[in-house]
Amino acid sequence: MKRPVAVVGVGQTHHAARRADLSIPGLVREAVDRALADAGLEHDDIDAVVIGKAPDMLEGVAQPEQFLAGAVGAHMKPMLRVHTAGSVGASTAITACTHVASGLYDRVLTIAYEKQSEGNAMWALSPNMPFTTPLVAGAGGFFAPYCRAYIAKTGAPPHIGPMTAVCARENAARNEYAHLREPMTIEDVMNSPVLWEPIRYLETCPSSDGAIAMVIASGDLAKQGPRKPAWVKSAASYAEAMWVPGRDQVSPRAGKVAAKHVYDRAGITDPWNQIQTAEIYVPFAWFEAMWLENLGFAEVGEGWKKIDRGEQRFGAHLPINPSGGVLCTNPIGASGMLRLGEAALQVMGRAGAHQVEGVKNALGHAYGGGAQYFAMWIVSTEL
Amino acid sequence: MTKLRNVAIVGFAQLPIVARDEHRMSSEMLYPAVREALAQVGVERDAIDYQISASTDYMDGRPFGFVSALDVMGSWPPRQDLHLEMDGTFAAYYAWIRMQADECDTAIVCGHGKTSEGEPDRVLGLQLDPYYQAALGLDATSTAALQASAYMARTGATDADLAAIAARNRSAGTKNPDAQVREAASAAGLQMSPWAVEPLRRGYVPPIGESATCLVLAAEGKAEKLCDKPVWIHGVDHRTEMQTLGARDLSRSASARFAAGKACAMAGIAGASAVDLAELHATNPAAELILCEALGLDPKAAKPAINPSGGAICGDPIMSTGLIRLGEVFRQLSGRAKDRAVAGAKKAIAHGTQGHALQHNIVWVLGSERRWS
Amino acid sequence: MNEPPKEPVKYVETTLHLPYHYVAGDYRAVQLRAFKDKKIIGSRCSKTGKVFIPPILNSPESFAPAEEFVEVADRGVVTTFCVVNIPVIGRSLEIPYVAASVALDGADISIFALIQECKAEDVRMGMRVEAVWKPDGERQGSHEDILHFRPTGEPDAPQEFYINRL
Repeated sequence: MKRPVAVVGVGQTHHAARRADLSIPGLVREAVDRALADAGLEHDDIDAVVIGKAPDMLEGVAQPEQFLAGAVGAHMKPMLRVHTAGSVGASTAITACTHVASGLYDRVLTIAYEKQSEGNAMWALSPNMPFTTPLVAGAGGFFAPYCRAYIAKTGAPPHIGPMTAVCARENAARNEYAHLREPMTIEDVMNSPVLWEPIRYLETCPSSDGAIAMVIASGDLAKQGPRKPAWVKSAASYAEAMWVPGRDQVSPRAGKVAAKHVYDRAGITDPWNQIQTAEIYVPFAWFEAMWLENLGFAEVGEGWKKIDRGEQRFGAHLPINPSGGVLCTNPIGASGMLRLGEAALQVMGRAGAHQVEGVKNALGHAYGGGAQYFAMWIVSTEL
Repeated sequence: MTKLRNVAIVGFAQLPIVARDEHRMSSEMLYPAVREALAQVGVERDAIDYQISASTDYMDGRPFGFVSALDVMGSWPPRQDLHLEMDGTFAAYYAWIRMQADECDTAIVCGHGKTSEGEPDRVLGLQLDPYYQAALGLDATSTAALQASAYMARTGATDADLAAIAARNRSAGTKNPDAQVREAASAAGLQMSPWAVEPLRRGYVPPIGESATCLVLAAEGKAEKLCDKPVWIHGVDHRTEMQTLGARDLSRSASARFAAGKACAMAGIAGASAVDLAELHATNPAAELILCEALGLDPKAAKPAINPSGGAICGDPIMSTGLIRLGEVFRQLSGRAKDRAVAGAKKAIAHGTQGHALQHNIVWVLGSERRWS
Repeated sequence: MNEPPKEPVKYVETTLHLPYHYVAGDYRAVQLRAFKDKKIIGSRCSKTGKVFIPPILNSPESFAPAEEFVEVADRGVVTTFCVVNIPVIGRSLEIPYVAASVALDGADISIFALIQECKAEDVRMGMRVEAVWKPDGERQGSHEDILHFRPTGEPDAPQEFYINRL
């Protein structure tokens, strides 16, 4: 970064299948108010707002940041709206960081949300490309074939996906904001209906309403407190084309390139041992094994083994998704920022019951599109 | 004023604005624009550090519509990338911010969208808050008309005044081969066109049109190698206001005024009238008058020349219209404006807008020389 | 309705109908027209020679134009797939159905296709399939001219063949 940048406040909503108690502005405000309070700031302290969310069809309002401008305190401020599919929450936070790193902004409020109970999420996630037979039914319908390919390539046993899902629920039980928090067993998962074979219902993310906001500030301001900030050591947002012959959709190149970018700039040469926790975007359980490899936490073909040995559980070597992750909470537009925000909370020592001990460096990661967009950051206790 | 990094526009390509491109899909329109922009600056795609695109799902008529643009922008190997659901002029702003943060030295900014495939007026109506304003059935022309009414009531501007502005833009458009509307029209003739939504006549607003655009930005050190006459960014600022139509003075654009003040201060000029030309993203004459007032420009003065391209009234490819204002300024100041060139132009303003009734405005100040040394 | 509501209004329900008329584009139109003749057309990258289905203006890999139209076979290999059990609004496909990625012979990228005429549990990666076309006289030059793909009964392709052509 050109100049030091830090997260000085995080606020999120209590995520649920349907927040019928709040309007869209109300939902966003719950997160914004909490983030400002956490940072000890008022709206007047904020120089700009960067907001992101996934397809507007999810709520039936086009470019809703426009009608939300007043509610998020953006009146007479610069405001940008980001949309990079599933990774949007993360790329939005990174856009806010760049604003501060540029030296032109000292404090930027960044927000990501989705109130998808208000539309028909399955329809919005099943785009009909014109002049093509519509076959893809929901995001899972697109990704399930690649989970199958991962299993075929690695010979991973069938219990790995269910094991990951069970672990995520155990983690979510420690996270008061998570949507799905009830524990379940591997048998529960194996007995749940198959949605897109090989992905089962209980291996799939929920559809949630939720929002998260963060205040990103310059290093000088961050040092002033009131609390320990999370220093953004590095951040990157990459994308790759879809129809590249032979494109690896099990371990996409853009993911590897983005990870190398953030590791190099944060001085990480051995992610498995230099990072103490990671919030990675796992909407379907098998992706946890796949991303462990894509992110260099495991050798190719070995990601599932780390899960099998429980090395990514809470309390183990490198807890993955201590918040419960996307498998337990998925307001699509917000999920990417929830990963980055949860990583920040871990580094700030403010993750409450799901705080991992001894965190110095944390990775926050998200992906989107046909596994084309990858956005991630490394946050640290030290500059 | 802090010294910033000098960044310039070094290339710009657009497809001529047409009512409906019957031969190409949205992403197909963007490919020739990107190729031409790269050809202008004489580099291969790999030489560009950053890419950012601008479009909106609702205009495309499908969620994730923008993803297909990756395949035509040269996104292999993987690129540092972003996409905004905003007009390309705001994407250009973020590319500029990335350069100020030393995150890149070159960038392509792409705008696309096949406006003709849907019903843009209704789609834009969906931007209104779903609880109170959208329920009124307002579309973009109606809210523009509300604003025009408010302006005319406050200032006493008349239908003839609006017609004169529209006629001036139309006359300029005849010299712009990329404009959609290229026939001149007299003020009297335009005043006879039926109402679109009173007090805006059909002749005062652009027809539905589409294009694809690609602007190339480069920082000092690279810019000089890519263009014989880079057009340097001197100042820029953008501000949004609350959307609620009844909560702001629609007859004025407070955010355009504020942004112009900041941009001019950064540029080290006293005000917008210090430039030689201004390209304003005004999709009707009342909006143009409101913007002139906000920026301190006299719409009747010869200088600065306003909308020598014919402006948005001669072509409004939504998501590219604001970016085209930047592109037109580039053409003017780099000697590429041919028949519509404003002689001796050295400084210019480009404006862009988003949202109903000029809710969100960006003002750029650009010049032939570097701003900071 | 003269009285205000007795309860505060909590929900607003809106149904949106927005029409969109898409242009296929000249390239896509070539492929669609060729369906009438039971031909599948793609385009070839001018730089690498790789073939893309449907025909596209440029190779996303090389960024070079892909202007040469090329015919590919209407048969190929299932590289990967899933069995869909979820209904979607506005879709008439009977569930469960198999959605597969199919590498057609002669093409360098795979297409998504519906697999039928076999049990879902019998579909496997590497299975050879062929297109089933609408009968002569019923084909209109639309994507619906291919009804689905079905197994040919030939031996499966080995993993090395399809694992990098997902």
